Amino acid sequence: MQGGLERATGEKMVLNFGPQHPATHGTLRIVLELDGESVLKATPHAGYLHTGFEKLGEHLDYNQYIVVTDRMNYLSPLSNNFGYVLAVEQLLGIEVPKRCQYIRILMAELSRVADHLLWLGTAALDLGAFSVFLYSFREREKLYSIFEKTTGARLTTSYTRVGGVLRDLYDGCEEDVRQFTNDFPKALKETHTLLTRNRIWMDRTKGVGPIAADDAINYGLTGPCLRAAGVAHDIRKAEPYSSYDEVTFEVPVGSNGDAYDRYLVRMEEMIQSCGIITQVLDNMPDGPVNVEDNKITMPNKSDAYGHIEGLIHHFKIVMDGHGVQPPKGEHYCATESPNGELGFYIVSDGSGTAYRIRIRPPSFLHFQALPHMLEGGMVSDTVAVLGSLNVIAGELDR
Amino acid sequence: MNEEKEVEVQPKPLVLQKLEEHHADALLSQDETRGTLVIVVRKEQAYAVLEYLKTDPELAYTFLVDVTAVDNSQMESELMQFDYARFMVVYQLYSYQGQCRLRVKVPVHENDLSIPSVAGLWRGANWLERETYDMFGINFDGHPDLRRILMPDDFDGHPLRKDYPLRGRGERESFNFDKQNV
Amino acid sequence: MGLTNTDIQSAQGVEQTDGNIITTTIDKVINWGRKNSLWPMPFGTACCAIEMMATLASKFDLSRFGSEAIRFSPRQSDLLIVSGRISIKMMPVLKRIYDQMPDPKWVISMGACASCGGVFDTYTLIQGVDQFIPVDVYIPGCPPRPEDLIDAVLQVQEKIASGASPKGVEHLLET
Repeated sequence: MQGGLERATGEKMVLNFGPQHPATHGTLRIVLELDGESVLKATPHAGYLHTGFEKLGEHLDYNQYIVVTDRMNYLSPLSNNFGYVLAVEQLLGIEVPKRCQYIRILMAELSRVADHLLWLGTAALDLGAFSVFLYSFREREKLYSIFEKTTGARLTTSYTRVGGVLRDLYDGCEEDVRQFTNDFPKALKETHTLLTRNRIWMDRTKGVGPIAADDAINYGLTGPCLRAAGVAHDIRKAEPYSSYDEVTFEVPVGSNGDAYDRYLVRMEEMIQSCGIITQVLDNMPDGPVNVEDNKITMPNKSDAYGHIEGLIHHFKIVMDGHGVQPPKGEHYCATESPNGELGFYIVSDGSGTAYRIRIRPPSFLHFQALPHMLEGGMVSDTVAVLGSLNVIAGELDR
Repeated sequence: MNEEKEVEVQPKPLVLQKLEEHHADALLSQDETRGTLVIVVRKEQAYAVLEYLKTDPELAYTFLVDVTAVDNSQMESELMQFDYARFMVVYQLYSYQGQCRLRVKVPVHENDLSIPSVAGLWRGANWLERETYDMFGINFDGHPDLRRILMPDDFDGHPLRKDYPLRGRGERESFNFDKQNV
Repeated sequence: MGLTNTDIQSAQGVEQTDGNIITTTIDKVINWGRKNSLWPMPFGTACCAIEMMATLASKFDLSRFGSEAIRFSPRQSDLLIVSGRISIKMMPVLKRIYDQMPDPKWVISMGACASCGGVFDTYTLIQGVDQFIPVDVYIPGCPPRPEDLIDAVLQVQEKIASGASPKGVEHLLET
């Protein structure tokens, strides 16, 4: 922290932004070199929340690790759960039943809305629009209650399992979700009226922190930040996984790659997600939610308690060295998480724990590109740009 | 195993054809696992191959998805396959033009822990390489700013190496938490 | 601001004689004031910070309990809420922030990670911030529900009202 403010020689001033700062969305730190109010140089620092997720992956078995993925991008744990088990399943070479795929899409899209809502609330809060924060949390609480009824937890859901999900949807889930998708566009419209044509909001975000399409690709930006720069790329479309090819949706694209475009892209993505959710509910197939392979998924509780085979299967899955054991090999699986490309690169040595798990976090590359967007701008724009990128420290530092 | 045989019958992907044409001596092995092409490249030619993959207009792997490494010291089969190189640096590439992925792996020996940096090709590589340096201790030659990124600057050791214990070597109890220059 | 009868009765050691005359000790009045105007400094790092935000936002609304004046400057706060994982790189920052807060100050360790490392028994994570800073109230859970955080704030309030010293100064009183 070097005493907060420090006067350097000459006209330059060094300003320490973070790591504990209200507008840093966690534990980010940027060292800004200022000339008056303009930013000459910005140096982001990461690692303040480094937790050792990748090392932990070498010591936990495949199902235990789902718990850890919750805590990576804690804005949308369900998307992380989804991306991770998909990688393990592809490594195993299995495909989950249709109903499970649809449930996972449903949950992933709900959590995309939840993620964007929290982003919206905090990004607006950073620029002084406090009401938006309260409005978006009001909506987020509705999602929390759906998540809690489905998974048992508000935030750390751990809902997916290798080869399926924890449990089927609860009775009345469809009504709850339909109620939400029905009301949500109206609620979002309130935010649009508060922000989209708001003079202050436009002045603070339009033309702020722009990045051109080829620069965005060069820096490895993905997700809404890339699309705001004008690249219409979405992994759900380009490499459809888990039945995403059976739903129709638009990929919103910006043109200037500035903070305002990132805002608009995220706002539209929430509406598109609602569309996907409705289609998924309309076409939800019946059937089992877990693959019927006793070596991969847990037996029903009644089987485990009532039948000797069930008990043996249960025992073997839980025991060290008998559970899910993908064949020797490696796999990289990318999914479109709310923030961008979330990839899991898993190397298996054929045992019950991964030999190496690498998480490819979108936030890491977004945060790296920050100086490109800040330098030459004003110091007050730092907050706006950082807010628009939605850098999640848990995912950044892992 | 049957799937792999079927793949061989199909025409070779363009990227492999072109690499065999231009950088045949760089390729140590090529494979397709679970829908992704994987090539292993000699360290000496790694930069040239990656540059070629990025700049060739027909291939255009313009998006460097990820750079990481694997410590193969406890994976005997991998060690034997590539002349007992302890580390494998892994690049994940994606081509927006061809909408396809490619994984490039480069073996690195423990007695020569350095590999050319690709930060000049992709600006996104800068931090990814720093992280790999931090976690595995692999030096990236020509990197503009090779410092630790996730661990504190005065940290000792490289946590993702297989010989580093999960609970550390007592850093979390004995680390100097009173230092002023944070 | 007028005092209602409930306010007066809830303050321990305060007696109301007839009319508008209240007799009490200065400590009681100060503690009563402190208790109802806690200014929290949120040290949010990870998942727990999201639940902390939920606690501050519309549905749970911590300001109902007199703790709405969130201050992001440690020099203005008297309640530090450590919510989230603390790595060895972050610990010096946390310690510095704690040191910058004026006395008397209270600390809530929110969630399993801050209290004991939680599920992350790894090389980089502090296994409990109480090894380095004194903690008054621990909240279990991963992450705790907003109700749990509200309960912890109420416990800090009770502690203040009872006249007990914060954990941070107890070692000074012993000597």
